[in-house]
Amino acid sequence: MASTMNLNIGHIIDVILYILTSLGYMKLFEKCGISKRWAWIPLTKEYHLALCADREEEGKVYVGIRAFLYLHSIFTAIPHNFNNYILSIAVSVFGILAFAMNITELVYLTRIYTGLVKLFGKSRKWVPVLVLFEAIAVLYWGFNSDYKPTKRAADVSEIAAAKVFGTDIESIQEGLTVNIKERTAIDFFRKKVLLKDIHMCIPKGHMVLLLGGSGAGKTTYLNAITGYEPADAHILLGNNDVYLDYAEMMYDIGFVPQQDLMRGNDTVWLTLYDAATLRLPSSVSLGERNKRINAVLEQFGLTAVKDSLVEKLSGGQRKRLSIAMEFISDPTLFILDEPDSGLDGVVARNLFEKLRSIADEGKIVVVITHTPDRVIDLFDDVIVLAKDANKTGRLAWYGPVKDAYEFFGKTSMEEILLSINQKDEGGEGRADEFVSKYADRIGKMVG
Amino acid sequence: MVNGRRKIVRRRGRVSQTIIYLGKLFRMFLFQNDWKVLPMSAVIAGLVAFAVGGNIFKTMEGTLMGTFALSCVCIWNGFFNSIQSICRERAIVKREHRSGLHISSYILAHMIYQAVLCLLQVVIMILVSTRMGVKMPDKSLVTSFPLVDIGISLFLITYCADMLALLISSFAKTTTAAMTIMPFMLIVQLLFSGAFFNLPEQAMPFTKLTATKWGLTALCAQGDYNSLPMVSLWNNAVKMKNYEVGGEKPLQDALVEIEKKNKREEILLKCAEQNQNPNYAFDVNVVYTCWGWIIGWTLFYILVAVIILERIDKDRR
Repeated sequence: MASTMNLNIGHIIDVILYILTSLGYMKLFEKCGISKRWAWIPLTKEYHLALCADREEEGKVYVGIRAFLYLHSIFTAIPHNFNNYILSIAVSVFGILAFAMNITELVYLTRIYTGLVKLFGKSRKWVPVLVLFEAIAVLYWGFNSDYKPTKRAADVSEIAAAKVFGTDIESIQEGLTVNIKERTAIDFFRKKVLLKDIHMCIPKGHMVLLLGGSGAGKTTYLNAITGYEPADAHILLGNNDVYLDYAEMMYDIGFVPQQDLMRGNDTVWLTLYDAATLRLPSSVSLGERNKRINAVLEQFGLTAVKDSLVEKLSGGQRKRLSIAMEFISDPTLFILDEPDSGLDGVVARNLFEKLRSIADEGKIVVVITHTPDRVIDLFDDVIVLAKDANKTGRLAWYGPVKDAYEFFGKTSMEEILLSINQKDEGGEGRADEFVSKYADRIGKMVG
Repeated sequence: MVNGRRKIVRRRGRVSQTIIYLGKLFRMFLFQNDWKVLPMSAVIAGLVAFAVGGNIFKTMEGTLMGTFALSCVCIWNGFFNSIQSICRERAIVKREHRSGLHISSYILAHMIYQAVLCLLQVVIMILVSTRMGVKMPDKSLVTSFPLVDIGISLFLITYCADMLALLISSFAKTTTAAMTIMPFMLIVQLLFSGAFFNLPEQAMPFTKLTATKWGLTALCAQGDYNSLPMVSLWNNAVKMKNYEVGGEKPLQDALVEIEKKNKREEILLKCAEQNQNPNYAFDVNVVYTCWGWIIGWTLFYILVAVIILERIDKDRR
């Protein structure tokens, strides 16, 4: 009887504490620009607390921990027949894991509260108070008007978006046609729009620079146009739909990653041989394959080191081999993610000249680089992606390099990048202005 | 105007890809440090044979301890063979998957390569053990050769552990993560072997999860555990021989009498009769059941590894 009474009192205290904590978080979330309703829902409360503290990554782990602990609470609340051996062992194991999770929870909660006090400009002494006396501390923070965050968590629905062009453009016979309506991702409890309203036609034989600040969606854009991470889009390479024929089209698209992802213990020749065997059609004879490998070795200046181990190559040679691995299948669309990273000026210039010659063979070459100005004369066009106010990647420019200078009123690519970067990144924060201006311009051009 | 689906060009199939990757793995064996697992297995087998090899397949206690130690060596070898094999080149696999690599071919190449490694390790283990004077069973159950029977059991344990490590390597994002998980799995395998440590009755069902339990059971059955003498009681009685009761030493008297009448072996066997374990019966069905369980777990680990690795494209950039 007494134990039942204790149990009931314990439950009542738990409910009161939950209500008080949720009330506090409700006010806190309001200050952070997050919807108040999340404060009342388990798990979403924990995630949004982390958002409010600008600690989203920790928040995701914290939610997982809390989910496990909620499950454990439910499991232990259900009456069990402990004569069942298996069940009793399961309860013990679950209990041990829950204890381990409690320790982990404490660590993550401390990290999140550390972020919160930093964001609110308060002393770190508050962290143990928040951890130990959560309900009272959060109520105090929530209802005290002196406690305000220095930065609000973005609530994308409230921000006015930059102008949208919103119309698919006609495909071109000889080139790449990109019509991306949007590319979204569900990240925990939020739908994130990663890319939006990107339309362009890139003719064959063009070498294109892909410019954009951190988080502008450059890699997302490349993955969308190659079909690796499909978007709500129509991507045509010549007359072929990249998404519809992805299994076949992936061999017509070469993607060279930023890192030199090759096995160091293979020789250059074997690396290319295996790449050729994987990528070339099985109808290609051994003789033709070897001929192609030798031609590519020659083209990329690797013949002299063909018997060397990859790990013995210089940075420039390794980069050229990485490119050659993709070029072996003679792709129409050739994409390179920072091929000049870690290379000095002369070697980088040499590499870009090689890429220019590939474009001159009638290929489309798209390149991301963080030092574009030293090789800008080799590019035909530039794509400028910018992060708008909603943190969505938008197209701020696609067209010839010279016209880009005029459009942005700048004299170098670095200045253009600076103009579209957010203010908190040290930029001018004019991304939305240029996105809207470009949407108007393209609208007029298309009619 | 879009043409719709274009003509499909045939590419290299799974078999060709498997051969490509087998070539890569054997080159890694030769030019990287993978070959070191072979001399390492010889050293470990030598140490174990030195420490516990004296009474294996001679007495019940020695067999239980020895087969447990042999199973541990197999688990250790298997784990170390492949624990880093996928995670160390995860980014490369991701790139190659993007270029048309079939994950099933990649895993199959690993399976074949690891099978060869495990086989070599088992051969080394048996050679070293016999060289160190470990007595191997002289009766066989499955094949006509007792050493082959024992070798198959040792191979299956090693390979099962190897595939479990491959599974860990397929979901661990880094080598550090894989090496952190490995000791946990090792402890589970050792603790739940079901014979060496006295587990509570409730925990016994969990022993079915481990390769050590099935391997140890198969090895004990193949060594005809139930026909071996039990020496622990005799050894303890010898230790207690000077214990006096009313000024006399009854234990010493009894031991002398038994020795005089040449009854020691009979006593040891009688003692063993009271401690026989039907799970270790010298029966081909026991061995088949154990092998079946180990193969089942091995296939399960492979299947999960393929499923997990198919999601490699979801890796954070």
